[in-house]
Amino acid sequence: MATVEINELRKSFDDVETLHGISFSIPDGAFVALVGPSGCGKSTILRLVAGLEEITSGDIYIGDNIINDIEPKDRNIAMVFQNYALYPHLTVAQNMGFSLKLLKKSKVEIERAVKEAAEILGIGELLHRLPKQLSGGQRQRVAMGRAIVRQPQVFLFDEPLSNLDAKLRVQMRAELKALHRRLATTTIYVTHDQIEAMTMADIVVVMRDGNVEQVGRPLELYDKPVNQFVAGFIGSPAMGFLPATTKVGSNEMVFSDGQVLSKPTYATLDGGYIIGLRPEHIRLGGDGASFKATIEASEQTGSETMLVARLADQEITILLRERFDTPIGDVHAFVIDPTAVQVFDSKTGARLET
Amino acid sequence: MSARARVRRTNFMLDILLFVICILLLTPLILLIANGFKTPQEMLVWPPTLFPKDPTLQNFHKVFTETPLLQWMFNSFAFAILSTIAIVSTSALAGYIIGKFPFRSINIIFVLFLATAIIPFEVYMIPLYFQVKALGLLNSIGGLLVGYLVMSFGIFLIRQNVIASIPDELLEAARIDGAGELWIFCYVVLPLLRGPLAALAVLAFFQAWTAFAWPIIVTTRKASFTIEVGLANFQSAYTIDLSLLSAASAAVMVPSVLAFVLLRRNFVEGIAASGMKD
Repeated sequence: MATVEINELRKSFDDVETLHGISFSIPDGAFVALVGPSGCGKSTILRLVAGLEEITSGDIYIGDNIINDIEPKDRNIAMVFQNYALYPHLTVAQNMGFSLKLLKKSKVEIERAVKEAAEILGIGELLHRLPKQLSGGQRQRVAMGRAIVRQPQVFLFDEPLSNLDAKLRVQMRAELKALHRRLATTTIYVTHDQIEAMTMADIVVVMRDGNVEQVGRPLELYDKPVNQFVAGFIGSPAMGFLPATTKVGSNEMVFSDGQVLSKPTYATLDGGYIIGLRPEHIRLGGDGASFKATIEASEQTGSETMLVARLADQEITILLRERFDTPIGDVHAFVIDPTAVQVFDSKTGARLET
Repeated sequence: MSARARVRRTNFMLDILLFVICILLLTPLILLIANGFKTPQEMLVWPPTLFPKDPTLQNFHKVFTETPLLQWMFNSFAFAILSTIAIVSTSALAGYIIGKFPFRSINIIFVLFLATAIIPFEVYMIPLYFQVKALGLLNSIGGLLVGYLVMSFGIFLIRQNVIASIPDELLEAARIDGAGELWIFCYVVLPLLRGPLAALAVLAFFQAWTAFAWPIIVTTRKASFTIEVGLANFQSAYTIDLSLLSAASAAVMVPSVLAFVLLRRNFVEGIAASGMKD
């Protein structure tokens, strides 16, 4: 086990810089998820930590050692790939024991380590099969087994669940989390699925265009996103955004259609802003400060109702914890809780404390 | 007529057609083998008999005792085996490198490899002959091998297979697992290329086994002839003894037919797999 420290990390491919000076640190034994849209550089970071790509500038520490110029095999890491990367001509046991064989461990030792790992993952009876005789979930387990057997300081996961179907993904998510609890090995997990990141990680690193947008605990990102991008990326269904304006001294945020949201702290603000509304912070209601919105779509899941509505000429999502049957095109009144509303600078996108 | 009956009838017609084609293809072969067992008199009978009336082993006996047929077969065999080993190993290495380590200069080299395929061997046969002569390799297996060590199609075939069937992640996983590049090549890449390499081996073997133009100019002494050159020699040195030539040809066919039958599956699979994803 070890800490991982990433310091001013830059990476260029043919003069195009894809990572622009990334820094963050991972405490010993933590489960960190790197999350962001595709092309944000999250997989590149993983590959740099693994040593599969060369660092352009900056440093990566595992424990107290700089590993920039150390060969992948000497970094004491294990990586699980999206397509599993199992050796097709080797059995499950041979796949799992591959690295130990290269370390010239004795047959008995390899067998014991493979058996142990297989037991943890519940694949004991598959040891003599070839990868092509396994299902997707089983292959995924073997890939993890191959990583566990090495007892590495750091686990690296590159979108390991993307090739599985939705149900299996939820199950493997729980298994992975349990595995981490049991082994307590420092883990870096790359995913484009923010739900995976939110549910599994101790720390989430949100990335965009080769920059780190925010590092924090999952709920911290949800409640206090640093900017509009993080606010929109974290949370499902996603936050809705409405442009609004206010003047110094006025408590009112005025939307483009003239509807007004008021809160005393708005008095210090002046100019154009973006109001962020979480779907669950909007309620049905007639009296009080209510907003009119036109229903454009409605999805009933039984326990909840998800509405897509047009408010102040913007599409927002509303999540009701109740059944609500409405024809498309109807106008309804909703109540917005002003204390839960987030305000972003319309130019920089940064969230303002209000 | 019901649809099923129609399908059955079509299948039956197809079977007949294929059977006829099969007979047409096999008849010369059967005739050749049969001729080996005929007396010189029966050879000249018209219409030719498909099965000899009075089979004799005389021709085979004569061929094996009066000509160095076994020596020629050995020469051909050694030449073909060595050429196969060389072509398979150069193609595997070059195809893997070109397929998995792409940088600009290697692509130029690859295009040059491919370009050699459009230059007919006859164009550089004579200059090559002078080189072999200067090296003192005339009348030797070494001399035969020059020009049969690398096959551009082989490099292409392996490159296609490497790109289609060996994912980068597999090599990366092996690197993280602690394998060196040579180790990866031998224990990860080669086992996965078994099919195409076997197909290439068959191709390479027959290319050398059936080579004629190059062996006939590189070998001048009877003892160093390959089988192809030796057979051609029957027609001049032993004039028109067709039964002898047939017996020799029939004897020569045995190893090559045997090899093809044994490797048939690999051969078809390997060729079919090239350029196709698993």
